[in-house]
Amino acid sequence: MKTLGRTILPYLIAIAVAFAAVGIFIAAMGFDVGRAYQTILLTSFRTPNGFIQTLLKFIPLTLQALAFTVPLTAGKFNIGGEGQMIVGGIAAAAVGIVFSDLPAVILLPLVILAGVLAGAFWGLVPAWLLYRFGLNEILTTVLLNFVSFAFIDLVATGPWRDTTAGHPTTISIGQGGWLPMLIDNPPLHSGIILAVLVAAGIYIYTSRTTGGYELVATGANPRAAEVFGINVRRMFVFSLVLAGALAGLAGSIEVAGVHHRLIEGMQSNFLVLGLIIGLIARGNNLAVPFVAFFIAVLEVGASAMQRTLMIPVEMVFIVEALVLLFVLLSDVVRRR
Amino acid sequence: MEILITFLRLVLLSMVPFVLASQGTMLGGRTGIFNVAQEGIMLLGASLGFLVSYQVGNNFVGMLAAMAAGALFGLLLAYFTTTLKMNQFVIGLALFFIGVGLSTLLPKLIIGITLSPPLIPTLPEVSIPLLSQIPVLGPILFQQNSLVYFSILLSLVLWYFLYRTQRGLELRAVGENPMAADSLGINVVRARYWTAILGGALIGLAGAYLPMVYTGTFTEAMTRGRGWLAIALTFFGGWSPLTILTGSLFFAGVEVLAFRAQVIGLALPYQYLLMVPYLATILIMVLTFRKARVPAFLGQNYDREKRNL
Amino acid sequence: MEKQPILELKNIRKTFDKLVALNDVSFSLLPGEIHGLLGGNGAGKTTLMNILYGLYRKDQGEIYLNGERIEIHGPRDALQFGIGMVHQHFLQIPNYTVLENIVLGTGITNRYTLKLEPEARKVQELCERFGLAVELDAVISTLPIGSRQKVEILKALYRGVKILILDEPTTNLTPQEVDALFDSLRVMVNDGLSIVFITHKLREVLSVCDRITVLREGRNITTLDRKEASEEVFVRAMVGEQMNIEKSVYFARDTKTFGEVDYTAPPLLRLSGVSLVNKEGVPRLKDVSFEIYPGEIFGIAGVAGNGQRELAEVTAGIVSPTSGKIEQNGKDVTGVPVGERLRSGMAYIPEDRLHDGFLPKASVAQNLILGVHRQPPYSDGRFINWKTVYQNTREQIQEYNIKTGGPAEPGGNLSGGNIQRVMIARAFSMNADLLVAHNPTRGLDIPSMDFVYRKILQRKARKQATLLISEDLDELMLLSDRIAVIYRGEILGILPREAFDKYAIGRLMSGIRSTEAATP
Repeated sequence: MKTLGRTILPYLIAIAVAFAAVGIFIAAMGFDVGRAYQTILLTSFRTPNGFIQTLLKFIPLTLQALAFTVPLTAGKFNIGGEGQMIVGGIAAAAVGIVFSDLPAVILLPLVILAGVLAGAFWGLVPAWLLYRFGLNEILTTVLLNFVSFAFIDLVATGPWRDTTAGHPTTISIGQGGWLPMLIDNPPLHSGIILAVLVAAGIYIYTSRTTGGYELVATGANPRAAEVFGINVRRMFVFSLVLAGALAGLAGSIEVAGVHHRLIEGMQSNFLVLGLIIGLIARGNNLAVPFVAFFIAVLEVGASAMQRTLMIPVEMVFIVEALVLLFVLLSDVVRRR
Repeated sequence: MEILITFLRLVLLSMVPFVLASQGTMLGGRTGIFNVAQEGIMLLGASLGFLVSYQVGNNFVGMLAAMAAGALFGLLLAYFTTTLKMNQFVIGLALFFIGVGLSTLLPKLIIGITLSPPLIPTLPEVSIPLLSQIPVLGPILFQQNSLVYFSILLSLVLWYFLYRTQRGLELRAVGENPMAADSLGINVVRARYWTAILGGALIGLAGAYLPMVYTGTFTEAMTRGRGWLAIALTFFGGWSPLTILTGSLFFAGVEVLAFRAQVIGLALPYQYLLMVPYLATILIMVLTFRKARVPAFLGQNYDREKRNL
Repeated sequence: MEKQPILELKNIRKTFDKLVALNDVSFSLLPGEIHGLLGGNGAGKTTLMNILYGLYRKDQGEIYLNGERIEIHGPRDALQFGIGMVHQHFLQIPNYTVLENIVLGTGITNRYTLKLEPEARKVQELCERFGLAVELDAVISTLPIGSRQKVEILKALYRGVKILILDEPTTNLTPQEVDALFDSLRVMVNDGLSIVFITHKLREVLSVCDRITVLREGRNITTLDRKEASEEVFVRAMVGEQMNIEKSVYFARDTKTFGEVDYTAPPLLRLSGVSLVNKEGVPRLKDVSFEIYPGEIFGIAGVAGNGQRELAEVTAGIVSPTSGKIEQNGKDVTGVPVGERLRSGMAYIPEDRLHDGFLPKASVAQNLILGVHRQPPYSDGRFINWKTVYQNTREQIQEYNIKTGGPAEPGGNLSGGNIQRVMIARAFSMNADLLVAHNPTRGLDIPSMDFVYRKILQRKARKQATLLISEDLDELMLLSDRIAVIYRGEILGILPREAFDKYAIGRLMSGIRSTEAATP
């Protein structure tokens, strides 16, 4: 209990300091800080709708964060979760549109699987470039995001375009590909179960299995791991492909659960938030879902704040980035 | 011929953000500070440069503001990594986030949300007397905006500084082996601070170039990954000023082909062309990265008191 | 009349986090003397001198130069006071030339052209005066270790230092090069320099130093004139009261009691015609052949960088040889990956523990199972049995005297000596038929070295084979049954125990074949 307190305390301080710093700024801009922070922190818990909105954000955020922390466990940085999610979404939508007449028993798994595989493939590309040519994965994963932006634009403005929509959007996928609802009003789809199961599975894998141990050893010192018989290049590839699959799953859940179609820009800023979550969690796969929930609360609150108080949502993003910075700083403080 | 001249003029024009951001990256890297916040710093530079120019009515002041913001981010990077010994990549990412966030926050706060964004005048062409009259070369090289000249001059100066002066020799030593440099009385901390700050300023200026030359206004994520491409260019250029300058011609050439293909009249869906700069960069990395010479202590913090285990 | 010390350190204290590295240490240096600073690893010798050179900040204590109190905030100050230091791990810019390395940071190059001719002449003159021949235009990374050390000494001399600190300067020199170094030191002293000579080798200080200070566990034990004291006094000072010197292996002259080699049995390890060409196309091993028999400790001597690392890695299966055959227990294991080798009777202690053997971000327990993590009892192949792992870890912490907070403590918190103990514990707990040990005692204090020596020798009775690659010739001559000398990737000769001779081995280490050496 004592150690748990010692782990959480720096987080609480970091959050408090970040809020205080931004609060001064908000006040200086002439806004009502008290109301702003009430909105940010409490919107998720005031109404059922707010809470479900939070859960809906929680799903892609958790998956994006894991898509960052899983390779990080092996010492690799995946900044390509955005592209992997987009490509996953594209594949899910494509399957859902092409096979729209199939019954749910077949179509739904197909849609989800298509997203997972496509995301994995988008992770495999940088992994292969790393394996074969030793290319730094940071740059290749980032650059592939930009390729995917053009790709989704191509699909969303192509033959499947929903011409009634103002924004580049495809037509709806077949009903059989929709994730069943857990609650109808306000709507909560069953993707949440998938996300929680996946997060638990990742944690068990990395902390209990031999494969997970090899992943950890690779991340701790790839050279030593290699000298003692671990095929680290394979671990790199595996971790990046798994990350791509996780981000791809996020994409197919967005398509199958939330939008039921492909929308350009549906990846939102989940990548950057996922990175922030992963870094705040210090790469700890167990902590990721909890941090993701916290960030989801802030994000839902931020939208409400912009609607009701006209304070830009980016203000909350600055809070999140500062929380990260102060959490990192707490390490330095502890070292001294 | 006309098309070729137009193309080459555009290449030189488009090379500037690459040169500035890449030389900024190189400068910090030469002392071991690996900045990865380029995309964020450039966006902030673009946003702030635009806003200040718009408010003051003077592009030069806007550029200075962008440089100051970049320098501040460089200072933060140096402080967190060199003084506090925090992971360079993680801090770089955090600064990237903050830069992106501020770049969209500031216009919303200062201008508000408008349907048609306000415009600032773009940088004027400065024709160099006599030289601009030379056929072919004149219009390509000597009828450009001031920052084109500046970026070329900067590259030459940096090269001379790094390879022909005593300070340059010492500076490079810091990136190759900070402990050795320190043991000879070279101030590692100071070298890392000032290169990170100056490098950040250059990256900020690279961002300001975008609204001031291309669009006349700031739009969200307008860098389109140029910050990341600049990192690739720095590796491609072997962390050496002159190779970076020539490499930037290539990067700019690809960009011109992709973003302005209409000028040449290519009949492909434009989305395919939009992919080209990034795919071309990956290809370039495949072809050249293994040979790239990198400062030995790039991205590594130096702690004098760390014990040798 | 007694000479006034040129330099005095008084009551120096230094802590790293909670570890007290130096506790109330005093030291004085007389003008024109070579002063040996003797002690095992972890005694605090280097730490003390790093404080003097300004690299470490002292917590307490005073420094006096010519009777005047001085403060040293960094190497720049130290150099200004005329203090220079040659570190054990050379502090050089590998892609700069010798001359650039020497003048770097002095501010006397031509600021705007980097023309160095006048400086080259000055350095050349120093080379000749002190017998330190190096080619000034050569790029550092292309030079052998002996030359790089000369560069390091020239750096100090060029700055006109009056006091020169040498940290373990004989590591990686052949006995002949050691003699030449000692000659140069004498010239320097006659030239007016005073020298601090850091070493853990008693015989060296006895042969070259005027006075000797012994440190142990961060404390100043004694300072004696060489002529005043016997070898036994120094030995006792170095190891303390706890250790039983008579029963130790470290100070023993004979290790026969541990068992004989069975040369009639089939060899446990056989390398035949093993060659290795690295990625750049440079040959690193050339036609290496030897056998190791049950109960044998087979030593490899050589100046570091002559292929020892490659030999270790090829033998352990980390790198596949370009040609040739490796057999263990009569089975061809050429090209069998290291993971499988670790599972079938091979254990490995890498030379560079920090890079090749240790997981700083993982726990002590996770470190100890690296390489055996797929085998029972630690794992059923799919899941790790952390309960068993932790239990075994606790036992090994006990047996190998690893100083740590417990199995879950992050490895990064351990000191260098304790990291080495983890390497040792991991390798020996596998009880493998074949042990490939590369500098297994690096960074250990004398009692721990003694412990490792005993562990290695005990393998003889169990008829296990050991490939011992070491840069410490004394260690090799103490433990080995045969010693092979490697030079530029080639085995130049294999000597049986009765033919062990420091200078003969030294000649082979510098590339002179025994046949040539035979001519008087």
